[in-house]
Amino acid sequence: MKNRLLKGLALAATMSFAAGLTIVPAQAANEILIWADETRGPNLVKTFAKKSDWVPGSTIKVVSFSSYDALKDALDKASGTTGPDIFVAGNDWVPALAKSGKLAPVVLTAAQKSGFTPSQFFDLSYGGKLYGVPVDVNNVGMVYNTKLVKSAPKSYGDMVKFYLANKTKMGLKAGLCIAGGGMSWGGLSGFSALGAEPYQMNADGSVNYDKSFDPTAFAKNVSTLLLDKKGKSNGFYPATDTGCQDNYLAGKVPFAIIGNWHWRTFAEAGFDMNIQPVPGVKPGTYGKMFGSVSGAFLTSYAEAHGVAVPAKSLLTSFFASTKGQVAYQAEEGRPPAESGAQKSQLVLGGQKAMGAAASLSSIPQIGAFLNTNAGGANYWDSAPAYWTAVLVDGKNPLVEAKKLAAIWKANVAAGKADL
Amino acid sequence: MSSIFRGNFALFLKIAILAGITAILSLLAQSAFASSQIAIGTYLVIAVVVLNFTYFTKVSIPLKFFAPGILFFIAFVIAPIIFTVIMSTYNYQTGNYISKDAAIEQVLIRGVEPDASQTTFDLVSGRSADGSYAVLVSDIANQKFFISTENELTYVETGQLTFNEYGVAITAPGFSVTSVDELATNDAYSKIRYKYSDGYYIIIEAQGVGAVFRQSIAYDAKTDTMKNIQTGQIYVDNKRGNFALEDSPETMLTPGWRAPIWFENYTKLVTDSRVRTPLIKVFIWTIIFATLTVLSTFAFGLLLALALNRKMRGRRIYRSILILPYAMPSIMSILIWAGMFDSEFGAINNLLHTHIAWFSSATFARAAVLLVNLWLGFPYFYLICSGSLQAIPSELLEAAAIDGANPRQVFRRITLPLLLQILSPLLIASFAFNFNNFNLIYLLTGGGPRNTLDGEVAGATDILISYTYQIAFGRNILDFGLASAISVLIFFLVASISFYGLRKSKVMETFG
Repeated sequence: MKNRLLKGLALAATMSFAAGLTIVPAQAANEILIWADETRGPNLVKTFAKKSDWVPGSTIKVVSFSSYDALKDALDKASGTTGPDIFVAGNDWVPALAKSGKLAPVVLTAAQKSGFTPSQFFDLSYGGKLYGVPVDVNNVGMVYNTKLVKSAPKSYGDMVKFYLANKTKMGLKAGLCIAGGGMSWGGLSGFSALGAEPYQMNADGSVNYDKSFDPTAFAKNVSTLLLDKKGKSNGFYPATDTGCQDNYLAGKVPFAIIGNWHWRTFAEAGFDMNIQPVPGVKPGTYGKMFGSVSGAFLTSYAEAHGVAVPAKSLLTSFFASTKGQVAYQAEEGRPPAESGAQKSQLVLGGQKAMGAAASLSSIPQIGAFLNTNAGGANYWDSAPAYWTAVLVDGKNPLVEAKKLAAIWKANVAAGKADL
Repeated sequence: MSSIFRGNFALFLKIAILAGITAILSLLAQSAFASSQIAIGTYLVIAVVVLNFTYFTKVSIPLKFFAPGILFFIAFVIAPIIFTVIMSTYNYQTGNYISKDAAIEQVLIRGVEPDASQTTFDLVSGRSADGSYAVLVSDIANQKFFISTENELTYVETGQLTFNEYGVAITAPGFSVTSVDELATNDAYSKIRYKYSDGYYIIIEAQGVGAVFRQSIAYDAKTDTMKNIQTGQIYVDNKRGNFALEDSPETMLTPGWRAPIWFENYTKLVTDSRVRTPLIKVFIWTIIFATLTVLSTFAFGLLLALALNRKMRGRRIYRSILILPYAMPSIMSILIWAGMFDSEFGAINNLLHTHIAWFSSATFARAAVLLVNLWLGFPYFYLICSGSLQAIPSELLEAAAIDGANPRQVFRRITLPLLLQILSPLLIASFAFNFNNFNLIYLLTGGGPRNTLDGEVAGATDILISYTYQIAFGRNILDFGLASAISVLIFFLVASISFYGLRKSKVMETFG
């Protein structure tokens, strides 16, 4: 018996030792690990397949997640052993991740900073520290179907008028819908065109803490333009984004708000890219969109992995450089954030048109105001809730607008401390 | 055949299987220790010892059967419960994820400030003549060049240097350049604070780039406080996982850490109306949902079982069809139902020629949830009711018929009580399962609709487990501590209800 036990243990120990020898370290010493979502990840892989020596002596590994939410989920659960060195995402995650110690600050030289605007750095900062480099501009644009609409609408009323006049004749399912970015992020233009914004900006780019939107004026616009005489939705603006893209492509919706990563889909479907911001109630005014930047962020895990300097080098030599952004955006198709890349002839017309729409009417995406629940709900939940309440449930637009204004005002007041 | 299970071959097979398991567990243990997961690593080592001892000795034959189950039970039931209970006593939320040591390290890394002009230099990493880490710094604007180590700064004459095409010094006497391959694999050089002037130092920001900083926050381990070196302000441990300014406690340094707050998450469930009000609402709906689901699925399943308990043409086909919803993955079924309930394009509105916003109205959403769960659940009860009906002795039914009982009386007085006696544990299990039926709620309605503009956190169809998920993962501010406290509450609720139910079912055993 003793003999058997010894033999067994000896064999088990041998196999364990053999298995131990085959252990592959989770991350090679010179490897920079990047996490990205399902569109950025594969495009980064393609970009690095063409050129990989952005940081001498280092290799780059990209892990793609199935969705943006999956990436967020993974980052929330990441630890020192599992987390990435760099990840690419929108700027609104910065406050929560910085507060939780998952981000590490980066410092750029004056030359590196000169390629970007101060507001782009503002988007990627928390508590006075910069945590990433701007990669591309994130925005939406309104496209219209030139087979249905012959000239660009000059005001919101023009679009509503067109819809109501042609609803039956053309079998329209809606007038304007959100095909990109969802009812909160993509839908800001829809709110802003009618007079509601989660926070007000001064002309110099600073936040105006004394001002919030006027619920009475906004509700009046909603009643006039989106509701019928009985106070029910006239069908122009659906409360959800379900089916919007398909309906637009099928010619059943004349106007759609699309994300700047979508323009190729629409161009390939045979649509002329007539991109503009959503026109406002008064001719010549436009609804503001989130003109935020996505960033490549340095994590605190890079330090633990021993690749903090190579990771920072990759941020500056690839993600923040003209060459790097042109190479990456050739695959990704978004407007690059860096000024040299924006001017590059290699950047396509659609990317430039989207960038132009953003520069015409946009506000920065300030996570400290948008993500907080201090007012009872964050922007992302409260914005679509307004449309459901008014357009689906038939609630009073003014009463609901007052609630919305109170929530957003409280969120801005609470978020101020986080900036 | 029996020789396979005896003799040398069997022994060899046993040793090989155990060796394989030992190897895998050892591998996992090593990985756990490497990741500083000491508890997991220790458990895996204990599991290796227990398994080898159990199967290589004859100390206990029953243990050979129970050991794997006990080990899995500890790993996947006991350990998560203990972890959840512990976490429920912590301030564990956005901003308070990491350990205190890691938080102190992060605060100190962030507690630096650049010089007034935010100076950056081009530099080359290497080693000085004495072998210590050094950087050859080019202050191109002022045409000054120097070698800096942790303790020394030595200016070098221009004539002693060689430069690249951008005017950056790349070699100097007594300075050996580190290769890029070494820089990529050895990060020790990047952790050095290279000497500069007036309390400032140079840190390497990227390969070839250094920036000038000075420390602005310092940690005093003796008093466990952080001090702003420039202003003299003291930040003390606020016992909730943050260093907070003494005079202004709401001003805190980030990041914070996981800190014990003992029963605060539990008291919040009672005292904080923002938590208590939705929790009560969700609890009531959870009970209603689980009860109605069990009743409806049981009733419908029993009805079908009774109908198909009699001989009829095509009975096998009907039985096969009725099992189909059970055979299909529930996730797929739920997603299909979610599509069918869509107010714009859903098949249900199209068939009924209605325009019901199923998931925007609390009543319709709850009806949809119950309907879909009926679809998913009735085949199970149909199957077990069919089996149980076969188990009821036909003599009892025949005797009742001879005594003049009509079919309704037979069902009410004999069939149903006997069925309930057999199925009580399964009904209780079904109630407990539906009490935590996260998949259905999450995939079908996401817990909604919720009246967000009125500050509602919980949705109309949220049950306790989906509400807990919403608190832990569903929002931008994640609160694992509070979610853990609710999880513990759910555990005790389900355990109590199940225990009560099982005791009741024992009472029913005396029937008949």
